[in-house]
Amino acid sequence: MDILFLLIPMSVVLVLAIIVVFAWAIFSGQFDDLEREAERIFEDEDARLDGDQTERQGLR
Amino acid sequence: MRERLNSTFCLTMTSTFQPPAADHQAKQPPADPAQLAIDDAEEIEGFTRWLSQPDGSRIGRSQFQVSGMFCIACARTIEAALTACPGVVDARVNGSSARAQIDWAPERTRPSALVAAIRDAGYHAAPDLAAPARLLRQRAERQGWWRLFVAGFCMMQVMMYATPIYVAAPGEMPADQMRLLQWAGWLLTLPVLLFSAGPLYAGAWQSLRRRRITMELPVVLGLSIAFFVSTGATFDPGGVFGHEVWFDSVTMFVFLLLGARSLELAARHRAAATLEAAMASLPDRVERLLDDGGAEVVSVRRLRAGDRVRVAIGQAFPADGSLLEGHTQTDESLLSGESAAVSKRAHDAVLAGSINLRAPVLMRVERIGDETRHAEIVALMRQAASERPPSVRSVDRLAAPFLWGVLLLAAAAAVAWSFIDPSRVVLVAVAVLIVTCPCAISLATPSALLAGGSALARLGLLPRSLGFIETLARVDTVIFDKTGTLTDDSLNVRGTLRLDAPVEYDLRSLLGMAAGLARWSTHPASKAVAGAVMPTGSAPAHWHEIEEIPGEGLQASDASGRLFRLGRRSWVCAETSDQVHHCRVDGSTSGDVYFGPIGQPWLGFELSETLRTEALDAVRQLRAQGMQLMIASGDHPSKVALVAQRLGIEQAHGGLRPEHKLQLLQTCHAAGRRVLMIGDGLNDGPVLARADVSIALGNGSHLSQLQSDAVLLSTRLTVIADARLLALQVRRVIRQNMAWAVGYNLVCVPLALAGFLPPWAAGAGMAASSLVVVINALRIGRISAANRRCGHSIAGPSSAAVYGQHSVAALTAAAGTAD
Repeated sequence: MDILFLLIPMSVVLVLAIIVVFAWAIFSGQFDDLEREAERIFEDEDARLDGDQTERQGLR
Repeated sequence: MRERLNSTFCLTMTSTFQPPAADHQAKQPPADPAQLAIDDAEEIEGFTRWLSQPDGSRIGRSQFQVSGMFCIACARTIEAALTACPGVVDARVNGSSARAQIDWAPERTRPSALVAAIRDAGYHAAPDLAAPARLLRQRAERQGWWRLFVAGFCMMQVMMYATPIYVAAPGEMPADQMRLLQWAGWLLTLPVLLFSAGPLYAGAWQSLRRRRITMELPVVLGLSIAFFVSTGATFDPGGVFGHEVWFDSVTMFVFLLLGARSLELAARHRAAATLEAAMASLPDRVERLLDDGGAEVVSVRRLRAGDRVRVAIGQAFPADGSLLEGHTQTDESLLSGESAAVSKRAHDAVLAGSINLRAPVLMRVERIGDETRHAEIVALMRQAASERPPSVRSVDRLAAPFLWGVLLLAAAAAVAWSFIDPSRVVLVAVAVLIVTCPCAISLATPSALLAGGSALARLGLLPRSLGFIETLARVDTVIFDKTGTLTDDSLNVRGTLRLDAPVEYDLRSLLGMAAGLARWSTHPASKAVAGAVMPTGSAPAHWHEIEEIPGEGLQASDASGRLFRLGRRSWVCAETSDQVHHCRVDGSTSGDVYFGPIGQPWLGFELSETLRTEALDAVRQLRAQGMQLMIASGDHPSKVALVAQRLGIEQAHGGLRPEHKLQLLQTCHAAGRRVLMIGDGLNDGPVLARADVSIALGNGSHLSQLQSDAVLLSTRLTVIADARLLALQVRRVIRQNMAWAVGYNLVCVPLALAGFLPPWAAGAGMAASSLVVVINALRIGRISAANRRCGHSIAGPSSAAVYGQHSVAALTAAAGTAD
């Protein structure tokens, strides 16, 4: 069970890393309006598209 | 991106752990240029109204949005910090809507100093302009979520480390592995305590600094003791602190507390949304037409009366004015509570803040800025949101003694358990401290009142103070004013009476002649006569030399030059007064009208007042609620009796002067009745002020001049009946909340004292009890909103009466299930 002495400190580091990633996600506005995202599917196709979708349409 | 993240991070840390600053900020200018910008005179106008004092000086009344408040007790802390500031006349902070209203003397302080004072108290403030305030709230929201996430994630991991220690049999786990797990737990408890619980510590520190006890104190004390003892046990196992660790309890408690609070915050934001929607509904920029036919886009602040503005579909009208071109429908639901679209043609009046629904139109600006009805409504709503009702104040006063009791109780429990079982002293004391946090008690009343207030605003009834709702629920007598309240200004013809007219004229042609003459006047009586006959009737008589004599009537000559009169009987009969049988002398405008050549009345019109369309429904609904109804009017007793009879109201008092109305009120009070008075709010202001609670009909007049506890934005009287049901529901919810909060403490404190309640369960229970209270309060807004949607879809537009009954039924049903 000596592996615990490696795994448990690693899990602590992992938790701290995940917290930082989440901080980035939240402060870049990804969680600001959760309801709006859910309703986006009902909007018209030719409404505002984000960069990725325009590119995909161009490829097609 | 990294820079942005870092700066936000720094902001977070500095805001949470701001060292207590000495009180130097009042004189010293703040370094932040953004703070200096709010001292700009033009900028100040955006969130400040100027009030002139009796002694000639003037003070500014500014609105601020405050973030970082977690509970109602914070409001008092900020108020205390502000009133200690030089130059602040008065400061009122509403914890539920996160708003501060500050009266300050311009010669002694500036807005930036006020903001600095709030910041030094450990909170953030921005002038209540829409944009910065929204940003502030967004930041508060993001930070809240991050704190919650850190607490939640660390809690899960700490629990994972704790589980093996719980499940292992004694001696099964090597001591070094146990210590490894404890260390890991300790490490992950640090961010929870230092970051997630930061606001709790900041709040407790502020309250200590101000020598005041708030509800954070016992919570923070409990957390600190548990963490301190666990830390000791981790690094010195078997030492003075024993070998038990409670990192899992600590993290779970912080997580549950923050979880409940962020839900509460969301609820608070929802309740503030009505207010926000009203303020944000004006457009920022508008398209103004120039004289040369071109157009320019200008800021709405640059508009002047007389400008012509084009308003696109879906845009809000920027100012009060009239339509020049176009035919459209507007949504005025925020301004009057009327959910149906209103049709507008050229020359119709449009209101700032209403939405153009159907077609692009051109409008002429007549009133801008503070003079618009929109601005008056917003001012009224702000006032109501920043006023603290008496019942909330009484809860505030209870908080301090309550908390002292809690601290003493925890100390006593610790002493008692040190004799019974010294190993559980910490657990019991911490559990007692946590379980008694009076969050639920302090939330019970304000959350319900705020939800009730925004539900009322959606109905179109704006209270001046939220205390209105509580008083309205106690009312058992309703006194109506007649003119302008139960009846509108117009008259209609109830019957006609043929007098000694020549036989060659039939009634129809007589009516046509009278109506033809009446069309020349805009007097209500003339309008009634003109409206009594279809304009397509007999060929209109040609009238010449038409003359209107004020107070008497119309005079004109027909084709043959014969003089006719339409007006008061005594005037029409002027030359043969002996024929006058029952000449009216009261001289009121709604008296009967006669028509004929001078001295020979041919035709008499019996006029009556027009009841408001919903007066009958309103009276029926109020009576169904067990109200005693009365009419008190200054009008002629016979007319009052007539209206009362049509409405089925037994107690009608006519011919009352204001002092008689006051006497009537006093008799009601002497009989132990609680009176709701409904009037126009202008002429009967003093009387309205003496009633227990009063509602003024605010259609068409300046809302700021109305002297009443609440303003009905439309003339839909049935709203009053709905509002009373709503007030009853609010009162019921407050009672349920109080019963729950007090009952919870009564049950859990003995459990905690007896040692049956571990700290994590105490935390869960406390968080749940706050949550129950807030969710219970949110039911209020929800029921009435659901109703409104149902009423709208079933009844369709313009069927407000159906909506009214519908909501009564639904509210009654809801009341049944709630009981």
